Amino acid sequence: MQLTPGQRERILFCLRGFAIAVLLAVLLGPIAWIFLTSIKPLSEVYTMALFFEPTLDNFRAIFKRPFYVGDRLLNSIAISGFTVLIGVPVALAAAYSFSRFAMRFKKSLFFGVLATQFVPPIVVVLPFFLMFRQLHLLDTWTGMVWINLSIVLPFAIWMLKGFIDTIPVEMEEAAMTDGATRLRVIRDIVIPVTIPGVFVAAIFCFIFSWNDFLYALILTRKEAVTLPVVLSTFYTEEGDRWELMAATGTFILLPMFAISYFVQRHFVHGATQGSDR
Amino acid sequence: MRDRHLKYLLTMPAFLLVTATVIYPLGYAGIVSFMDWRLSRSRVPTDFVWLENFSRAFLEDPSFLNSLGVTITFVAGSAIGAVVFGLLIALLLARRGRGYSITRTVLVLPFAMSPALQGTSFRFFLNPEFGIFDAVLDALFPFLSHVDWLGSSGWAITWLILTDMWHWGPFLSLMLIGGLLSIPRDTLEAARVDGASAWTSFWTIVLPQLMPVLAIAFVLKTIFSFKMFDYVYLLTGGGPGESTTTMTYYAFRMGFTAYDMGYASAIAFVLALLLVGVSAVYFRLLFPRGGTA
Repeated sequence: MQLTPGQRERILFCLRGFAIAVLLAVLLGPIAWIFLTSIKPLSEVYTMALFFEPTLDNFRAIFKRPFYVGDRLLNSIAISGFTVLIGVPVALAAAYSFSRFAMRFKKSLFFGVLATQFVPPIVVVLPFFLMFRQLHLLDTWTGMVWINLSIVLPFAIWMLKGFIDTIPVEMEEAAMTDGATRLRVIRDIVIPVTIPGVFVAAIFCFIFSWNDFLYALILTRKEAVTLPVVLSTFYTEEGDRWELMAATGTFILLPMFAISYFVQRHFVHGATQGSDR
Repeated sequence: MRDRHLKYLLTMPAFLLVTATVIYPLGYAGIVSFMDWRLSRSRVPTDFVWLENFSRAFLEDPSFLNSLGVTITFVAGSAIGAVVFGLLIALLLARRGRGYSITRTVLVLPFAMSPALQGTSFRFFLNPEFGIFDAVLDALFPFLSHVDWLGSSGWAITWLILTDMWHWGPFLSLMLIGGLLSIPRDTLEAARVDGASAWTSFWTIVLPQLMPVLAIAFVLKTIFSFKMFDYVYLLTGGGPGESTTTMTYYAFRMGFTAYDMGYASAIAFVLALLLVGVSAVYFRLLFPRGGTA
């Protein structure tokens, strides 16, 4: 059977539409199902029902004894927040230095920073557990911020250096020829221009520490427990409380989705730059 | 202040923090891996046993060798799987138009989802009695309806890989879409005029152009696959048996359920060395001259 180009085109169009529909179902289905489960009444949780009387009971339950999701939420926000507040400025300073100055061993140093990303977290967490036990930092915000910096910092340095590399140095040079000091240049020229890059790096760092599970699982007990670890406490003796997990999951998801909207914009911007010309 | 001093002053905090968060613990783990230290018996390390922890792993412990195999299977499966999945998504969605760019906004969602939540949820979705994945798959493939997805070792490792692909594939596709959109349209147009089929131009034009991005995606994914822990802990619990016990999970079990710190450090260290070795090979292949990164 010979197809005219028009028919061929139409068949391809339908096939592509179908493939996109399947893809969206695969990617969005699980997320939607978590959300649906979180507002299901207990009687419907273990059924495939799509229509039910929505309830907020699950959300009420997780904030009470023995789960205290409210406290965990605060822990998660504080730990991720402080990690970003400490990590990003430190990374920015180092990234600027790596990008603009000639330094001895610069290449090896920068490669060393990247190489720390090859270290599996399980290697780092064992000694941290032993160290924190001695320093009484187990189950504290301080300890959690400290260890989260080990994931966030090298990544942020790498990302911000890439960003600063793309900014032309001419403006800084001009200002310095006019007599401005380096610190003044950094404050008045570099920082304002790097704000978008800093913002994106901060978002990534926040996502990484927000989603961390391994460190929090091992290094927290009772006080500094974060949201992802609460999930594992719903495997209770009376059975698995799936509806409560889903409700907690909604709290883990929503801020990430709000934030990732910005990340997406950054990516699409980067992706289409230079190709639309 | 002079640049001469400033440049070191600016790198100093980062240098100190990286040392305190990565290099110092790494050294610490290195030393502990040569020691006999069972937390259940002693609060401090008892004795240097040198290579005993390592020889125990490779010569006397079938569970360790099993975890080595599981790790390699998982890394190979999930790295290849996620890159191929990402490439398929990218080929589907790398088009201009408002509809496509809206669809692309969805791609970041799986990556933003906490792996811990994904592991717990997928475990429920796969439950043979009330799981949504199980229900859908049974409807699509009735001959698989008797399968207990996480109860058989072959399916458990498969789902571990699929779960990881769901998380990473869409994210990698965002990288690849950038690469695809930057291929000049004229080249493809010219090939079409010359009578090349879509299939031919994919293999001769698109794929070679995309190679650098694909290679980076693959390296990135390999490194993260080696480090994966959350899915094993929450989705399969390392089981059934030890069929999904990766090295990371095995080191975790040795350290925090058996409290054998020396042995756990040794296993973690072997994992780190394996990762460094694999990365070194990759970098050789990617940047043959060295130092062009």
